[in-house]
Amino acid sequence: MVGAGGDGVVTMGDMLAQAGAREGLNVIKTEAYGPQIRGGESSCVVRLSADPVNAQGDRVDILVVFSWADFARFRGEVLPAPDALVLYEESDPTPREATGVVVGEEAVWVPLPFNRLAKATSAGKNIVTLGILSELFALPAAALRSAIQHKLGKKKTGVLEANLNGFAAGAELAGTLDPALAGRRLSYEKGEPKLLMSGNEACAVGALHAGCRFFAGYPITPSTEVLQFLADWMPKVGGRVIQTEDELSAIGAVVGASYAGVKSATSTSGPGLSLMSETLGLASMAEIPAVVINVQRGGPSTGLPTKSEQSDLWQALWGTHGDAPRVVIAPTDVEDCFHATVDAFNISEEYQLPVLVLSDQSIGQRRETIIASALEHEVIERRLPADLAGTPYARFAETPDGVSPMAVPGMVGGEYQTNGLEHDEQGRPASSHLTHERMSEKRYRKLRPIRDRYHRVRRYGPERARLGIVCWGSSKGPVKEAVLRANEHGESVAAFVPLMMYPFPKHQLQAFLKSVDEVLIVELSYSAQFAKYLRTFMDLPQEKTSIYKRSGGKNLTVEEIEGQILASTSAERVAGDLAEAISAAPLGAAIEGRV
Amino acid sequence: MSALTEAPTAFKPADYKTDLKPVWCPGCGDFGVLACLHRAMAELQLEPWNTVVISGIGCSSRLPGYVDTYGFNGIHGRALPLATGVKVARPELNVIAVGGDGDGFAIGGNHFMHAARRNLDVCYLVMDNEIYGLTKGQAAPTTPTQDKTKTTPWGNPEPSVDPCELAISVGATWVARGFSGDPKALAALMVQAIQHRGFAFLNIISPCVTWRGDDQFKILKPKVRTVPADHDHTDRAAALTYTRETEVLTTGVLYEIAQPSLLDRLRTVEEIALKGRPRPTVKDVISTFYPAF
Repeated sequence: MVGAGGDGVVTMGDMLAQAGAREGLNVIKTEAYGPQIRGGESSCVVRLSADPVNAQGDRVDILVVFSWADFARFRGEVLPAPDALVLYEESDPTPREATGVVVGEEAVWVPLPFNRLAKATSAGKNIVTLGILSELFALPAAALRSAIQHKLGKKKTGVLEANLNGFAAGAELAGTLDPALAGRRLSYEKGEPKLLMSGNEACAVGALHAGCRFFAGYPITPSTEVLQFLADWMPKVGGRVIQTEDELSAIGAVVGASYAGVKSATSTSGPGLSLMSETLGLASMAEIPAVVINVQRGGPSTGLPTKSEQSDLWQALWGTHGDAPRVVIAPTDVEDCFHATVDAFNISEEYQLPVLVLSDQSIGQRRETIIASALEHEVIERRLPADLAGTPYARFAETPDGVSPMAVPGMVGGEYQTNGLEHDEQGRPASSHLTHERMSEKRYRKLRPIRDRYHRVRRYGPERARLGIVCWGSSKGPVKEAVLRANEHGESVAAFVPLMMYPFPKHQLQAFLKSVDEVLIVELSYSAQFAKYLRTFMDLPQEKTSIYKRSGGKNLTVEEIEGQILASTSAERVAGDLAEAISAAPLGAAIEGRV
Repeated sequence: MSALTEAPTAFKPADYKTDLKPVWCPGCGDFGVLACLHRAMAELQLEPWNTVVISGIGCSSRLPGYVDTYGFNGIHGRALPLATGVKVARPELNVIAVGGDGDGFAIGGNHFMHAARRNLDVCYLVMDNEIYGLTKGQAAPTTPTQDKTKTTPWGNPEPSVDPCELAISVGATWVARGFSGDPKALAALMVQAIQHRGFAFLNIISPCVTWRGDDQFKILKPKVRTVPADHDHTDRAAALTYTRETEVLTTGVLYEIAQPSLLDRLRTVEEIALKGRPRPTVKDVISTFYPAF
C-alpha cells in the first residue's frame, strides 16, 4: 500500500495486521517513509499467511496505489510480483506512464474510485480500501470492523458511522468487480489471537522479563522504540529510565546502576555504539554486567539511518581498546529479540561482562506475530558473596570459572575499590605485567563456559547437503525461506545460522561444514565482515567457499538467495572481480566472489 | 571495615582510611581534601557499606582508593554518568562524585551541565588545580589565560572557565567554593554538600605544587576570604559576583536554592504512570501486544 501523507496507509496496514493477528494468522508488517519528519509519502507492506512466514516477502501480490508519483519514490523497495493485482486510483493526476514505473507484464490492472467513494461516504480513503480488500480476498471483515471501531470509536459523533459505511461501500463495490479477481482469496482456519510485536519492542519486553529495572538511552534511529517503550512501562513496573545527554552517559549510567546491583541496559545504533566503546572496555576490565542492544543501520557515519545493514559486526565484536572479553548475540527475527535479550542479561549477570544484542533495522522495526507462550525464558541472577564476615573480601578472587562473587553497595563487609586500572584480587591498582597476564587470563576464562552452555544455532535443510549456506542475524529470514523452497524442489541445500556470534559456536559450525560439499556465506555487508570474521578462527578452503554479500539499504530477498543456490549448481561459476561486479550490478543484483 | 559483622556505634575519621598510600606528590592540595572528606564522613556518620565514592581519571580521581567505602575509580570524564546510574538505581545510597577540573569541565563537561540541570541527587567535589597533573603539566579549561604550560609554551591563548559560574548557570542548586589550605571551613562545606537534596557542587581550590609551582599555597592564602554573612544564597546575580575573581578568592556557599531533585521528579513520574493502580506484571505488559479490539 502506497500513498501520500494523510492517506492513512500505515493505519490501514496496522488494521490489516492486527485483524490478521486476531484471527491467528501469521503476519509480518513493514513500513517505509519519505524523508519528511511529518507527512509525506509512506508505504506499508503486510504479509498475511496461514503458514509460518520467515521474511517480509520479496514481492507483493496485491498492490494498492493511491498515487503513482508517491509509488515512484518506493519503486526499489516495494516490488510487485509479475502477476500482481494492482488496485490504483482511477483519477490519479499523475498516471503511472508519466512516472516511468514498470510493473510485470502479467499484472492485472484494476482502476478504482478510492477518492470518489471516500468523498461520497465521508469515510477515510484507507477505510474504503479495507472494505474493498476484505471483500475481494476474504480478509477477516468482522475483525476489520472491530479495528475501525477501536480506532475511531472515540472520535466525534458521525465519524465512526461514516467510516463503517465507507467500509461497507468498499465491500459492495468489490462485489461488482470481475469474479475472476477473487481467485486469490485467503483461506485459513481461525486460530487463537497472536501478539503483534516489533523486534525493538521484543527486546524491551525481554529486558523487563529478565528483571532489568534501570535503562538509560539516547534516541537514535532505528533503536529509539526500545527507549520509548521502556520510558512508558519501566516506571509502572518499579524501574527507572533516564534519557541521557549522549551515549557516553547512557552506558556510563548503565555501568553505574549495574555496579550498584540493579540489572541495567541501554539501546543504540552504530554511531552510538562507537561512543560507548570506551566504557564497554571499563565493563570488561571491572567485570561489571551491562547489556547493550545495538540495532544496526547502514553506515559508516550517519549512513542510512532508516535502512538495515549487517556492518556493525566487527565493531560489536572488537570495538574497544585493550583485550576486552565480551559476548555478542544476534537475534534473527522478532521472537529471537526477546530471547537474545534475556540470554544477554543471564550471561552478563552470571559472568560479569558486557553483552551486546546485535539486532538490525529490519527485525527491529518490523512487526511480527508471536504466540505468547513462546515468550518464556529462564532468568539467572548474579553471583553474590555468600558470607562477608571474617575474612577480608576479595572482589576479584580467583575461581575455577573466573567468576568472582560480586558484592554490591549496601552489603556490610563487601566494601571494595573497583577501577578501570589493572588490579589485583582485592581490586587494588596493579601495573605488574604478571598481574596483567593473570587477570587477563581470568577474564577471558569466563568465555569458555559461556560457549559450552550457549551454543545457540539454527540449522535448516537435510543432514547432508551439496550446498551449505552460512549466514547470521536477519539474513536468516530470506535464507531459510529460500532453503526450504529449494528443498521442496529437490535441491540439496542446508543452512547454518549462529545466534551466538561471540564466543562463536565453532564446533557446531565445523560439524556443519563437514556435512556439506560447498559453502556459501551470505551477509549484508560490503566488506564481508562475517566471512572475514569466520576466517579468523576457521579454515574455510578457498576452492569450496563462496561469499554472497552486498551493502544494506535493501533487505536480502528470497529470490537473491534462490539465484545463488541455482548458480552454485553451475560448474561455470566464476569468481568475478568484486569492484567490477559492484559497479555493474543494479541494486539487489548478485555480487559474488571467492573468500 | 571489611572484617566487621556489626555496625560500630561511631565512626571516627580514621575509620574511613584505607591502607593504600596516595600516589600524590608531597605538598599536593589533595591530601587536605582527603582528610577533610574523612572528617566530613565521620561527622555525618556515613555507613561505609552504604556509601559510594566515584571518580573519573586524574590525580584527584585516585581518591576513592583512599576512602574505605565502596569506591569506583572510573574512566576519564565519566564520574557523573556512573554516579547517575548508582544513585538513580539505588537512591538509599550516599553517592559522592569526585575528580579534577579537566575531568569535570573538559572531557566531562557535557555531563556536568546535565547532572546540574537534572538536579541529580549527588554531591560533586572537584579538586581544581588549574592544570592536568597526571599527564604532567598541560593546560586545563581552568588554566588562566597567558599562563605557560607544556601545551601552551607561549602562554595560554584561551580564556578559562570559572566552574562555580558554570554550575550556577546550568542549574546546580547548591554551589560553593572551598580551599584545600583551609581544612576546617572545607570539611564544613563538605558536610553541607553531602546533605544537600539535589546536585551539590563544591569547587575546591587544591593547588598543584608540582606543575603550578610550589609557592601556590603562599600566593593563594592571603587572597582567601569567606563570603559575607549577609550574602543572599538564593540570589543568582549576587552569587555570580563572586565568580571570575582575580584579586581575591571567596570561599563558602555562593548559591543555594530548594528545587525538587531528580529522584523527587522520578518518583512523581512513577505516581503519574501508575495512577494508583497496582504494578503490572511482565505478563500484563506482554498482553498489551494482543490486537486492541
